[in-house]
Amino acid sequence: MSVDDIVLKTEELYYRYPTRSDYALINVNLDIRKGEFVAIIGQNGSGKTTLIKHFNGLLKPTRGRVIVDGKDTRGLPTSELARSVGYVFQNPDHQIFAETVKDEIDFGPKNLGFPPERIEQARQRVLAEMGLQGLEEEMPFQLSRGQRQRLAVASVLAMEPVILIVDEPTTGQDWRESISLMELIYQLNKKGHTCVVTTHNMNLVSLFARRVIVMWRSEVYLDGTTQEVFAQVDQILRAGIKPPEVYELARRLLPDVRLDRPIIPEDLAELLVKEREKIHR
Amino acid sequence: MAIIELRDVSFAYKDSTVLALSHVNFSVERGEFVGVIGPTGAGKSTLCWTIVGVVPQILRGEFSGAVFVNGLAANETPVARLAQIVGLVQQDAEAQLLMTDIEKEITFPLENLCLPREEIDKRLNYVLDLVGLRENRLRHPFYLSGGQKQRVAVAAVLAMEPEILILDEATSELDPVGAEEIHDLAGSLKKQGKTIIMVEHNIDELARHADRIVVIDHGEILRDGPTREVLSDVDFLCGLGIYPPQVTQVAYHLSRQYGVQFEQFPLNVEEGEELFGKMLRA
Ligand SMILES: Nc1ncnc2c1ncn2[C@@H]1O[C@H](COP(=O)(O)OP(=O)(O)OP(=O)(O)O)[C@@H](O)[C@H]1O
Ligand SMILES: Nc1ncnc2c1ncn2[C@@H]1O[C@H](COP(=O)(O)OP(=O)(O)OP(=O)(O)O)[C@@H](O)[C@H]1O
Ligand SMILES: [Mg+2]
Ligand SMILES: [Mg+2]
Repeated sequence: MSVDDIVLKTEELYYRYPTRSDYALINVNLDIRKGEFVAIIGQNGSGKTTLIKHFNGLLKPTRGRVIVDGKDTRGLPTSELARSVGYVFQNPDHQIFAETVKDEIDFGPKNLGFPPERIEQARQRVLAEMGLQGLEEEMPFQLSRGQRQRLAVASVLAMEPVILIVDEPTTGQDWRESISLMELIYQLNKKGHTCVVTTHNMNLVSLFARRVIVMWRSEVYLDGTTQEVFAQVDQILRAGIKPPEVYELARRLLPDVRLDRPIIPEDLAELLVKEREKIHR
Repeated sequence: MAIIELRDVSFAYKDSTVLALSHVNFSVERGEFVGVIGPTGAGKSTLCWTIVGVVPQILRGEFSGAVFVNGLAANETPVARLAQIVGLVQQDAEAQLLMTDIEKEITFPLENLCLPREEIDKRLNYVLDLVGLRENRLRHPFYLSGGQKQRVAVAAVLAMEPEILILDEATSELDPVGAEEIHDLAGSLKKQGKTIIMVEHNIDELARHADRIVVIDHGEILRDGPTREVLSDVDFLCGLGIYPPQVTQVAYHLSRQYGVQFEQFPLNVEEGEELFGKMLRA
C-alpha cells in the first residue's frame, strides 16, 4: 500500500483545552488508511472525542499536525473539511439545530451544492434507512432521544462523506437499532469510505471493527486487530475496557487457541465443541 | 408489604394516543434488585417517572390505576416528598446537571436536606471516589466528557442515600469497567437492604446482580420472573431485538446446534467457565 492511501494522519499531536493545564492528547501518532473501519475505545475522559474532533477541524492541534486527505487541518476552514469529512456528535442535541427533520437532513447536501433531485433522493434514502419516514415535518426536539440520535447520523450520511467520523452512535439504542445503525455505517464502509467510530459497546466493536485503537490517559495505548486487542485482557482492563464475554471465556477455557478473526457466541460454541473432540480423541 | 406497587396502571402522554403504559401490574419487595429491559420506546422511562410521581404530576396525560411507594400514593404525594425515598438517575444526564461545579452538584441537594456539614463532606468524598472524579471535583460539569457527566449524575443521586434507587440507563455512556463498577455497587447496596431498579440495554452486566427481570414492550409487561428464567429464553429476547448475555448465548448454541445438555444456562463468565469447562472434560 502506498502512502497515498493514508486519509487521516496525526503527527506528534498534542492538545490542551484552553481552560485546562493538563493535556487531553499526548503525542498521538496515527495513520488511518482509505477504507478502514476503526473503532476507538477507552475510559471516560481518555481523549477519544478530543482526538476525533481533530479529524474535522473542530479542534486544531496545540502542537503537532493533523493531515486529512493530504491537507494540514491548521490552514483549512471547517467548511472545506466538511466536503470530505462527515462528523456525528456524541450528543445529538449538540448537532441538531433545524426546525424540521427535513431541513436538518437537507442542510448538508444543500451546503455541498447538490442539485435538488439529488437532495431529495438522499433524504428519502436516509429517512428509510434510519426508520424515520413520515417524520419529515416533525420538530427534532419532539423526537425521542433514540430518534434524535438516528436523525443526527442520517443528516451526515445524506452527504455520503468519504470519511465518516461517528462519536458513540448507539448510546441509548436497543440492540436491534444499534445493529441497524452500525450496519448502515458498514454499508458505506464497504463502498470504500473510511469509517472511524467511538463506542463503549464492545459487542458491537467485535462485530464491525477490524482495527481497534485503545486510548488511555490522553495517549494511544494499544492499536491492533480487534481479536489481538481483546485478547490482551489484563492490559485493556487497566484502560477501562472489558472484552466481550466470549473473549474472556476463550482466554480461560481455550488458552492455546489463537483467534484469527473476531468471534461471536456461535463461534465460541463451535470452538468449544472442536476442543472437546480434540480432548477425547 | 411491597415497597413499590403498581396496580393496573395505564398512561398516555398529553396529546398522544399511544399508551406509554398499558395495564401494568408490578410490585417490588424491599431489598429486591429488579432489572427492566425492553426496546426503545417500550415505556421503561415512563415506568420510572411513575414511581417518582413525575408522571402524571409534572409530565401530564391520561392516567389510571394506582401507584404506591412505601405506602404513599405516588400520583398525589408531592414529588419532593417522594424524592426523599426514591432517587432517580435520569437517562439524560445533562438534563440533570444544573450547578457550576461537580462538588456543588453533589452537595446542593444534601444542603437542602439540612444535613450537618461533616456528613455532607463524608458523602461527597465517598461518591467522588466511587465514580473516580475526586481530582475533577471543582470543574464545571459542562466541560466534562460525556461519560464523566453521567458519572456526576450517578454520584449526585447516590449521595442522597435513597431507600429506593432507580437507574434509568445510567451506564449508557460509561466505559465498560465504569459500567461494571456501577452494577457491582448496585449489587452491594441491595445486600445492604436497599431496593434497586435498573433499566438497561447492557444485559451482560444486568445479569450479574439482578434478582428479577421485567421485560416491557409497547407499554406492557411481557415477562416478569427470576433473572435466569427470563434471560434463558434466548429466542424470545432476540425476537424483541434484545441481546442476551453472550455466555448465555454460547450455551444456547451448544444445546441447539451440538446437542449439549445443560441443567441451566449460565448468566455470567464465572458460571460459563465452570459449565463449559465441565463439558470439555466430560
Ligand atoms: N470543552 C472542554 N473543556 C475542557 N476540558 C474538556 C473539554 N471537553 C473535554 N475535556 C476534558 O478532556 C479530557 C478528554 O475528554 P474527551 O471528551 O476527549 O474524553 P472521551 O474519551 O471522549 O470520554 P467519554 O468516553 O466520556 O466520551 C477529559 O478530561 C475531559 O474532562
Ligand atoms: N414527554 C413525552 N411526551 C409525549 N410522548 C412521550 C414522552 N416521553 C415518552 N413518550 C412516548 O411514550 C412511549 C414510551 O416512552 P419511554 O420514554 O417511556 O420509552 P423507553 O422504554 O424509556 O425508551 P428508551 O429506551 O428510548 O429510553 C414512547 O412511545 C414515547 O414516544
Ligand atoms: Mg467522548
Ligand atoms: Mg427511556
